[in-house]
Amino acid sequence: MVKIEHGRLQEHPIVDFKRGKEVTIYFNGQPIKAYEGETVAAALYAAGVRVFSRSFRWHRPRGFFCAIGKCSACMMEVDGIPNVRTCKVYVRDGMQVRTQSGLPDAEKDVFSIFDDVIDRVFPHGSHYSKFTTSKKARDFMVKRMRKFTGFGNPPRAVFQGKAEVEEIETDVLVVGGGPGGMSAAINAGKYGAKVLLVDENPFLGGQLIKQTHRFFGSAKERAGTRGIRIAGILEEELNNIENIEVRKETRVFGIYNGEAGAYQRLNDDEGKLLRIRAKKIVVATGAYERTLIFENNDLPGVYGAGGVQTLMNVYGIKPGNTGLIVGSGNVGLILTYQLMQAGVNVAAIVEAMPRIGGYFVHAAKVRRLGVPIYVRHTILKAIGRKSVEGAVIAKLDDRWQPIPGTEKEIKCDFICVAVGLSPTHELLYQAGCEMKFVPELGGIVPLRSKFNETSVKGLYVAGDVAGIEEATAAIMEGRIVGIHAAVTLGYGGEEAKKELEEAVREIEEFRSGPFGERIVNGLKKCTLESEVVS
Amino acid sequence: MKVAVIGGGVAGLSAAYFLAKSGVDVKVFEQKYLLYGASGRNSGGLTLQFNNEPLIRLAKRTLELYDSIQSEVGFNFLLRKDGYVKIASERDEAKLKEEVEFQRRNGVNVELVEPEFVRVLFPDINTSAFSVASYFADGGVVFPWPVVWGLAKGCRELGVEVYDYTPANVELKGNELIVKANGESYKVDYVINAAGAWSNEISKQVGVELGNKVYKEEICVTESLKPYVDPYVMDISTGVYFSQSMRGEIVGGILGSETTTLETKASLDFLTSYAKRITELVPKLRGMAILRQWAGLYDVGRNGMPVIGETKVKGFIQLNGFGRHGMSLALAAGEGVAELIMKGRSSIIEPFKP
Ligand SMILES: Cc1cc2nc3c(=O)[nH]c(=O)nc-3n(C[C@H](O)[C@H](O)[C@H](O)COP(=O)(O)OP(=O)(O)OC[C@H]3O[C@@H](n4cnc5c(N)ncnc54)[C@H](O)[C@@H]3O)c2cc1C
Ligand SMILES: Cc1cc2nc3c(=O)[nH]c(=O)nc-3n(C[C@H](O)[C@H](O)[C@H](O)COP(=O)(O)OP(=O)(O)OC[C@H]3O[C@@H](n4cnc5c(N)ncnc54)[C@H](O)[C@@H]3O)c2cc1C
Ligand code: FES
Repeated sequence: MVKIEHGRLQEHPIVDFKRGKEVTIYFNGQPIKAYEGETVAAALYAAGVRVFSRSFRWHRPRGFFCAIGKCSACMMEVDGIPNVRTCKVYVRDGMQVRTQSGLPDAEKDVFSIFDDVIDRVFPHGSHYSKFTTSKKARDFMVKRMRKFTGFGNPPRAVFQGKAEVEEIETDVLVVGGGPGGMSAAINAGKYGAKVLLVDENPFLGGQLIKQTHRFFGSAKERAGTRGIRIAGILEEELNNIENIEVRKETRVFGIYNGEAGAYQRLNDDEGKLLRIRAKKIVVATGAYERTLIFENNDLPGVYGAGGVQTLMNVYGIKPGNTGLIVGSGNVGLILTYQLMQAGVNVAAIVEAMPRIGGYFVHAAKVRRLGVPIYVRHTILKAIGRKSVEGAVIAKLDDRWQPIPGTEKEIKCDFICVAVGLSPTHELLYQAGCEMKFVPELGGIVPLRSKFNETSVKGLYVAGDVAGIEEATAAIMEGRIVGIHAAVTLGYGGEEAKKELEEAVREIEEFRSGPFGERIVNGLKKCTLESEVVS
Repeated sequence: MKVAVIGGGVAGLSAAYFLAKSGVDVKVFEQKYLLYGASGRNSGGLTLQFNNEPLIRLAKRTLELYDSIQSEVGFNFLLRKDGYVKIASERDEAKLKEEVEFQRRNGVNVELVEPEFVRVLFPDINTSAFSVASYFADGGVVFPWPVVWGLAKGCRELGVEVYDYTPANVELKGNELIVKANGESYKVDYVINAAGAWSNEISKQVGVELGNKVYKEEICVTESLKPYVDPYVMDISTGVYFSQSMRGEIVGGILGSETTTLETKASLDFLTSYAKRITELVPKLRGMAILRQWAGLYDVGRNGMPVIGETKVKGFIQLNGFGRHGMSLALAAGEGVAELIMKGRSSIIEPFKP
């Protein structure tokens, strides 16, 4: 059913992987086969590379982890430039890629012995308190320590890319092209506001891109459609509105008093700094995955669900042979059958709660495929030296403590942690929004008006960054902020105001069911004084 | 004797440390966390390259104190004396030469050097981006955080109460100095105003006009690289400076400018100006990612000199106005203030009296 070649899926029942031209890249001097359009990290993974770097202090192995440029585990030297996130750079024929930490390289690092001894000899913080009384000893220590610090190699080449600055003025800037951001752009744009939408990825769709399954949720027209399709529909709508400009591979790195700074990648050799003055800014940066605390949770092969989905559904690369899934929410369940679909075994799903978290239909499907689900269980540790070779799970008692004697070893070569998401809120903090920890919404979120405007005037949030919910809610929130931004800029007249009221009503209705209760409770904790549209 | 220090930066903590060593009952009040002020936000450059004698004396003594305090407190400030280099473009050549001559006359071992000399210290520097340099071999870089932590540790071990998240105000009742903080009033014999950029306001509370100027300076770090930049480099023509931290980040910024608001927002203008000049100076930094940026505030005293000593209000002592050089000056200033309180006078701080 699924053919695998060089670690890559060849045929898949749902996704059709179109690979580019074959190229050769060099990894620590060794040639590796890759295809244009693949990221360096994906190509290395497909070639069986598991250790991508070594940790700063203990020299523990670090592997491909988030796949979306957020964790820095994949940083390598690329063509002489250090600290390049290889999961965000595309392969090019003849590219020279080197690991940076470890002697002689990350894989065979002789300093990995630090992992066993350093904590005893130099426990954390001891560099401030050991050998301090004699000046000689101190100076010597500082010199020695300096030899061992630092992550990347000093740059060997001058980056040849062109760097330009472009200044842009627009009515509305939308940061993030997931369902929330696309919907915000469409709804501000359709009333005539000039909109610029940017996304750091080379494609729009955000999380939806990885969702090869039919969607749950109650959006009338879209439940039952595959996530990937929904992204396509929104993108088409977006492209049909003339006053919306879309820039992909453009990452916003800061919001400074109504001006956003962004870096747009044009091609391998060119990029530019965008200085975007916008009257309204919508932040729709989505969320990222949480992890769990257990022994060896940093071992290569321990992933977030999203990382595995990216590998498998975006790049068509097999994450491993047998996986263990931690978490039985919808994400964990869906991922399980996506894996099985791609011909990967799933050894088990463990769930700390006494019952399965996700919808019954998904659970039933997984059970039919013969995957055991252990409720009231947790993962105690990952086994392996350089990458995952197994895991130990155990049963939990009523106080969430592992019960001695119930440990069970599971054979697997990767572990997938699917325990939920947290909002990608850095831009909001940096912009100066008032923030609050609201567990119901998944983490630290901004205070907002009922139109999702934050405490920074003219700065809105939509989608998972405002609180972890789902694509349907993201689309609905996008609609509210898009229209509100347009209306307050003088676009759309009475018609827009009416639609705004309707949009607010619709989301309230959507959240009025039992699944919305948690969200509604969360929202009560972070509402700014409501605002009236004049 | 009771002393209250307002401000938990390097200046205030140093004064508290030396007073406590003499057995004085000291309390330090910090409005936010330790490291909130300039002392937690600076680039840690240490030098004696000043253009007046009292400053050179203060800086010399401070360098000595770094050695002794680390030993006494048992804390490593991660200080490296790998040299401090000032570089200049053609138009500032005369200025730099004059400065070097003055410093040499005052016993500072600085040298005027060619760009090629700097390239030997740091091979990646672009020698055509500047025309002359001055090199002070015994200067260097200190990591400011352990300086503050270490001083606070030393203070606490000597019985000093260091209160964080505790804004303090001073009141003059007749001849009595009252410090209000924590919802309590403390009657004290001395108040040391070491509130950095906030010193003007504290001073006003007892009716003393201070008139320090407030500057805001921005700075940033790149991703970490294996250490290969040893000296601290300061371009006096553009104000751009850089060094490499113990963690390997390239730390760099642009000398600050006067501001009227006490805010520390970072700006995009800074990033672009800094990136432009730093990549002229070190072209190989072009592909580097910037990890963090931030800003800090410091106060500059009259004629660019710190303000240190007792005011017309008996017991109210200024210890502020250190400008861009507090890390190089403040330890000796704190020691001087302690001496002033204990012995009635201190020659090293005499030239800076309010
Ligand atoms: C496995 C899985 C299954 C799911 N199944 C369903 C389902 O069946 N039904 C359902 O309704 N929902 C489902 N969801 C949830 C749904 O995918 C998300 O709620 C939705 O995608 C959130 O949309 P968003 O626009 O807020 O964020 P995202 O889709 O995460 O998009 C955010 C975008 O912002 C971009 N971005 C971030 N930072 C920057 C920056 N600084 N500069 C530029 N761009 C930036 C990112 O690249 C990304 O494209 C599922 C999620 C997962 C992980
Ligand atoms: C970006 C930057 C780079 C720098 N680089 C260097 C360098 O390379 N070399 C060098 O020598 N110097 C440098 N400096 C300057 C140096 O940091 C300062 O001169 C020095 O830290 C001043 O110390 P301070 O204790 O006087 O002030 P601060 O460290 O600012 O301490 C004052 C403290 O008082 C507190 N405070 C204020 N009001 C109250 C109140 N009412 N109650 C309680 N607490 C209060 C503040 O919160 C603050 O923490 C730099 C500064 C900046 C901003
Ligand atoms: S940053 Fe590349 S894997 Fe996380």
